Amino acid sequence: MLLLAVGALLGVGLYVIDIATVTDVRGSPDYYVDRQMLFVVLGLIVMVAVASIDTTRLQSVPWVLLGGLLGALAVVFVIGSSAKGSTRWIDLGPFSLQPSELGKVVMIAVLAALAVERAQDSDPLRLTVLLTVVAAVPALVVFVQPDLGTAIVYGAILMAVLLLIGAPWQHFAGFAAVLVVLVAMVLAVLPAAGVSVLKDYQVERLTAFVNSDRDRGDAGYQLDQSKTAIGSGGAWGKGADGATQTNNDFLPEHHTDFIFAVVGEMFGFVGAALLVLLFGVVIWRALRITARAASQFEQVVAGGIAAMFMFQAFVNVGMNVGIMPITGIPLPFVSYGGSHTVTNMAAIGLLFAVNRRRVGL
Amino acid sequence: MTTLTPPPRRTGSTGGGSTPPKGRAPLTPAVAVRIAALGMVAVVLIGILLTRLWFLQVIGGQAYAQRAEENRVRTIKEPAPRGLVTDRTGRHVFAQNRPGWNVVARPAELQGARRRAVLAKLAPVLEVPLPRMTAAMAKADRDAPLEGVVLAEDVDQDLQIALAERARDFPGVTLERTYVRTYPDDTLAAHVLGYTGPIFAEDYARYREQGYVGNERVGVTGVEAKYESYLRGVKGDRRVEVTATGEPTGRGTISSTPPTPGDTLRLTIDYPTQRALEQQLRFRVTDSPTATGAAGVALDPRTGEVLAMASFPTYSPDAYARNRTRLTARYNRDERRPLFPRAIQGSYPPGSTFKAVTMSSALQLGLLRPDEGIGSPAELELYGTVFPNFRRQYHGTLSPPRAMEVSSDTFFYTLGSRFYEKRIKEGPEFQQQWAQRFGFGRPTGIDLPGESGGRVPSEDWKEEYFASDRDNNFWKPGDDINMTVGQGYLEVTPLQMAVAYAAIANGGTIPTPMIAREVVGPANQVKRRLSAATPSRTIPLSPTTLRTVREGLDLASNGPNGTATAVFSNVRATGGVEVAGKTGTAEPGVRGEEDHSWFVGYAPYRDPRIVVAVVVEHGGTGATAAAPAVCRTMAAYLKYDPELCGVPVAEDSN
Repeated sequence: MLLLAVGALLGVGLYVIDIATVTDVRGSPDYYVDRQMLFVVLGLIVMVAVASIDTTRLQSVPWVLLGGLLGALAVVFVIGSSAKGSTRWIDLGPFSLQPSELGKVVMIAVLAALAVERAQDSDPLRLTVLLTVVAAVPALVVFVQPDLGTAIVYGAILMAVLLLIGAPWQHFAGFAAVLVVLVAMVLAVLPAAGVSVLKDYQVERLTAFVNSDRDRGDAGYQLDQSKTAIGSGGAWGKGADGATQTNNDFLPEHHTDFIFAVVGEMFGFVGAALLVLLFGVVIWRALRITARAASQFEQVVAGGIAAMFMFQAFVNVGMNVGIMPITGIPLPFVSYGGSHTVTNMAAIGLLFAVNRRRVGL
Repeated sequence: MTTLTPPPRRTGSTGGGSTPPKGRAPLTPAVAVRIAALGMVAVVLIGILLTRLWFLQVIGGQAYAQRAEENRVRTIKEPAPRGLVTDRTGRHVFAQNRPGWNVVARPAELQGARRRAVLAKLAPVLEVPLPRMTAAMAKADRDAPLEGVVLAEDVDQDLQIALAERARDFPGVTLERTYVRTYPDDTLAAHVLGYTGPIFAEDYARYREQGYVGNERVGVTGVEAKYESYLRGVKGDRRVEVTATGEPTGRGTISSTPPTPGDTLRLTIDYPTQRALEQQLRFRVTDSPTATGAAGVALDPRTGEVLAMASFPTYSPDAYARNRTRLTARYNRDERRPLFPRAIQGSYPPGSTFKAVTMSSALQLGLLRPDEGIGSPAELELYGTVFPNFRRQYHGTLSPPRAMEVSSDTFFYTLGSRFYEKRIKEGPEFQQQWAQRFGFGRPTGIDLPGESGGRVPSEDWKEEYFASDRDNNFWKPGDDINMTVGQGYLEVTPLQMAVAYAAIANGGTIPTPMIAREVVGPANQVKRRLSAATPSRTIPLSPTTLRTVREGLDLASNGPNGTATAVFSNVRATGGVEVAGKTGTAEPGVRGEEDHSWFVGYAPYRDPRIVVAVVVEHGGTGATAAAPAVCRTMAAYLKYDPELCGVPVAEDSN
């Protein structure tokens, strides 16, 4: 069932990318869909490979994994290639690799391994601080690339791991308080003092969804067009040919971060709701695997993956419909993009690996 | 979704699988609660998204659909071809259109850095200065960002191809159809037709209210301006689907309203007469060593319809329609003022042509009896001043018609003293009142912009005009005396002169002269009659007055001693057309300058169908320049041989 849901999401993604990008690369209408197809095939291979590994071996090498992740991120800083003002890719000929995406799964494994190792012989506060520091280092590196979206995903993964290893509820209250203070500092206090942590475009994106619909800045335009696309889909959608917001290029990023809006425009409320429910199925199956995990490590890993999907899907759809800030998080399995497709499929592979050793029934 | 919460029975079933190296049993009750919490969060988040989608798509769907529609549909204005301007028959076209292409950009779709880049690349291609394009775009940003801004007008085919080939370099810039005004006869009737040009900045707001867009062309002068509302037509709308950059998707037209061409304006102008008049004016000026310009008007005295009207030097309206700025700048600099419509704006002393007005007034006022004889000595002393006859001629005693025939000045000076005496005795300014009745001192009301009213000097006018000159700021006997022969401070336009003679020819009706005959619709149906619907007024001229004055005008052109007999006698004898009219040799008021040559007349004498007034600036006596011009203009209308028009032998008559 998990495989079916993921397969359906991948299929929807390929179909929509195919239609939406016909005019994007002149002379080569299938450019994006061909590449995405390749990514899916690559992802399948990775998924099968990951599904067959012994999860207990992952548990024994957390520091190696962390070192590898930081190393890859460091490489990006040295020889990384830039696009749209951000340096997050390693150029590999016709493709480029985004280590921060792969880092999400690595981060889950590292945090889970460390948490399980230290769970019995350190007090809860020390453990929480340790995990936070371990997560914060790569998150900060990613943040300065700058890639706010991925950095926030790292934070969400940390929360999920803490939740599953049984961190006290007070710790979460503490995180919430720190978060509120941080947001206030970054958006209001520090700019007033002349220090800007976020780039202007990041602030604009983050705040566009609370501003009026007719904000004509770039982010406001993006959001306006996205909502217009989704809303104009109505109950049943305008079909592939009638999707003028997409086909006439009014909706930017229609194959990446705003692909959900395309689905909404073409297939209406029915299609959009079904897509959301498909993610519900993925999360449900992931949580089911979590509950049946054979070891605590595997349990935390599976739960972390479930939380990761939940968070990414919600934030992405949320920003498409204008209830979440625009943070640059792709829609798992559906958005165009090699690194995150492969990463998410690797995560699915990891779920299968955990499921193989499940207990009960 | 409820299965997200693991059933409690599984909480105890640990230890079944392989034992992890470290850590407690996987699923404790506490952990189950937390997994359940995660599941609950998922349910809530999915609920939020579905609710939001419901509101966006099902409830707000209509509104957003409309917004998407506004996004994708662009209304393109299709220009309407401007109405034609033709002669009175409708067969000869004076102004028409030729299709062309403008380079257009839409400010709303070309913003910021991209605009700067595109315009910078475009400037050398179009050969239009970059600052001019930038300024035009900036202005449109404020006024009408969705309308096209014309960056270059009427581009040639090479440029069209060049732009099409590099279309990718110029996003947001398109070629749009336009119509270019053309005037096939070049300079013919230029001052009547006027020309079209860009809307002046100060008129911009007014035109916008009438639905014009930023850099549209409108009639600037002449009938092009006067009848703009008929000629402009109605623009068409074409609704097409466009992409985000404003380029048509090529999926066809959603809906369209075709443009309605402007109505045809049929003028009262008679094409052959117009040509003859213009050719004469040109010849009289270029042939004379002293002449600086000339103007002429031909009217139908029965209706006031303008059969021909011209001014020389002239200009080419095409120069404005095609934006030939070097040529138009030259027109502006030219000291001979080719743009100046002398026929309606040129003010000249009328000289002896005014004697017909003076005699009519004197007869009506009883200052002159039709059978009265008055002496015409070489000079006449009145109020201590000696007033000489023209070239000190002596004619003995003359009847009124004979005085007109030889154009005696001293005869009229006597009338001048009578006007003065009557004014002193009774108060009113009789001569002024009568001049005004004939239409002098105010515009005739012709349907052309910018008409001048000339000047009828009065006591009040002198007082104001010479306010600081104590020797001249009051009315003198000499003022009345000079005015009787069309000199002094009197100034008239050629059109006013033609209108006054029309009244003498038609028995006292002052028509409103009209240049536009009718508005003709697309199916060749007359939509509105213009020249037939104008008001006229009547001045009280008794049959005796008319007979006396007309006889004088006939003698002046055909009598044995007529000043213009040399020009017209053969026309009557051989051509069978009797022309009545009066010469004028007007002193320009500047000593040493050659006189203005005037002739005003009508024909045929018994059944007048045409009045022609011509003035040749510094052209000499009336008989040498203006009278032959009138004779040859009338020939075109009355179909007699222009070669019958004679040339006076000596310059001895005024």
